[in-house]
Amino acid sequence: MRRIQHAFLDEYSDLDSVIHKLDPRAKLIGFVALVVLCVSTPPNLWLAFAVFLALEMTVLFISHVPLRHVLKRMLIVVPFILAVALFIPFFNKGGGSYNLGPLKVSAHGLTILWNVTIKSMVSVFAVILLSSTTPFPDLLHAMEKLKMPRIITTTLSFTYRYVFVLLDELQRMKRARDSRGWSGKWLWQAKVIGHMIGALFLRSYERGERVYAAMLSRGYDGQVQTAYTYRVGVAEIGFLALIVLVPIAVRLSF
Amino acid sequence: MHIPDGFLNSGVSIATGVVAAGAIGIGMVKARDELDEKSVPLLALCTAFVFAAQMLNFPVAGGTSGHFLGAVLAVVLLGPWLGSLVIGLVLLVQCLGFADGGISALGANAFNMAVVGGIFGYYIFYLLKRLLPRDKKFFLLSAGGAAWLSVVLASGACAVELAISGTTPLSVTLPTMLGIHAVIGVGEAVITTLVLAIVLAARPDLIRSYDYGPRMYELDEAEVG
Repeated sequence: MRRIQHAFLDEYSDLDSVIHKLDPRAKLIGFVALVVLCVSTPPNLWLAFAVFLALEMTVLFISHVPLRHVLKRMLIVVPFILAVALFIPFFNKGGGSYNLGPLKVSAHGLTILWNVTIKSMVSVFAVILLSSTTPFPDLLHAMEKLKMPRIITTTLSFTYRYVFVLLDELQRMKRARDSRGWSGKWLWQAKVIGHMIGALFLRSYERGERVYAAMLSRGYDGQVQTAYTYRVGVAEIGFLALIVLVPIAVRLSF
Repeated sequence: MHIPDGFLNSGVSIATGVVAAGAIGIGMVKARDELDEKSVPLLALCTAFVFAAQMLNFPVAGGTSGHFLGAVLAVVLLGPWLGSLVIGLVLLVQCLGFADGGISALGANAFNMAVVGGIFGYYIFYLLKRLLPRDKKFFLLSAGGAAWLSVVLASGACAVELAISGTTPLSVTLPTMLGIHAVIGVGEAVITTLVLAIVLAARPDLIRSYDYGPRMYELDEAEVG
């Protein structure tokens, strides 16, 4: 059988570094705290954002995840910034204004643009570091340990297992569709997509029924057994100090 | 429509987060009798399905494309509570696994897509279904109409949140967002209708809100339990 081709989830999370070996709870708490601190920082504290980025670059360096991968993934926020935020300096009227050729650019608007751009970039960087140093199942386990309802974590662990299978299925359908001359330019061609999604749903659902029957026959009683062991050691405390206490210290010192 | 971190102020993030968590939490309590270990594989496969379906871009007009949201499809298939839980789970995976949608904006995204798009979308669908004659054609029409409206309303909620946060002026963002999504919503409606038509033809027993025809068999009998 062909190997599953979708490495888009969990890419680089199987590397072997100090960061990868950390307790996933520490990483989850650390990166989420970093995002919250970053989002709540006033936009005029330039140095604070520089410190956030420096911390992230340090973690990136220690983790051996290639910078190219992070930059590529960071592109995901660009469309939103372009569509929603880029026009702000031209419409906002607050603050002084600069003339940029025939266009007027307001200082207040520029601050907002800077604010959303730097914050979304720093936060996306943090989430990418989290997801490329922690395999998704470990992340789910950390959430469960942190008292997330079990129905959510168990469901997501199955979702993780099956999303690759479904995407493979979808890939096969797409190949079949494209080899039949589908060009995909106009709304009326959406019918084909509708049929594909319908077929995908039926196959997913029926697979779910089969999987559940198979699980029952193997003694499933709602508990998923795992063999993870967790510890909070020097490395975890050091990491949390770096990623949480340093930003707090920076924030307090201004 | 996935809002990244940094676009919303803390008030909006917290308020939408509380409402979204509350709605999904109430949903989980309401669906408790359905929501046991038994439903895990089913919910998981539906989550994976919506996730995969969102990766299919469909053409809007001459080259531009939108992607399928699936909120109304999920609630019509699974009911408002399980359906919105599935949408919430999809958002959680996209946020943590792909950095698509911010962590601090997760509440707002869940509010827009699971609460406004999903739960509210379900009641629009329910109302349309009640008002229209009891017929398969009108069932599909109500789902399509609700799908269109849910996408438009969700984008409107997104514009309002951005405006309250002081990021973008409402007078510019609201018309733009509504305009773009009025077009994207057509694709959403067409696909939702087509998918439901196919499921209705093959396995009408899977659509929880379809109570017109005789069911082939009840769900419990189909399972080895």
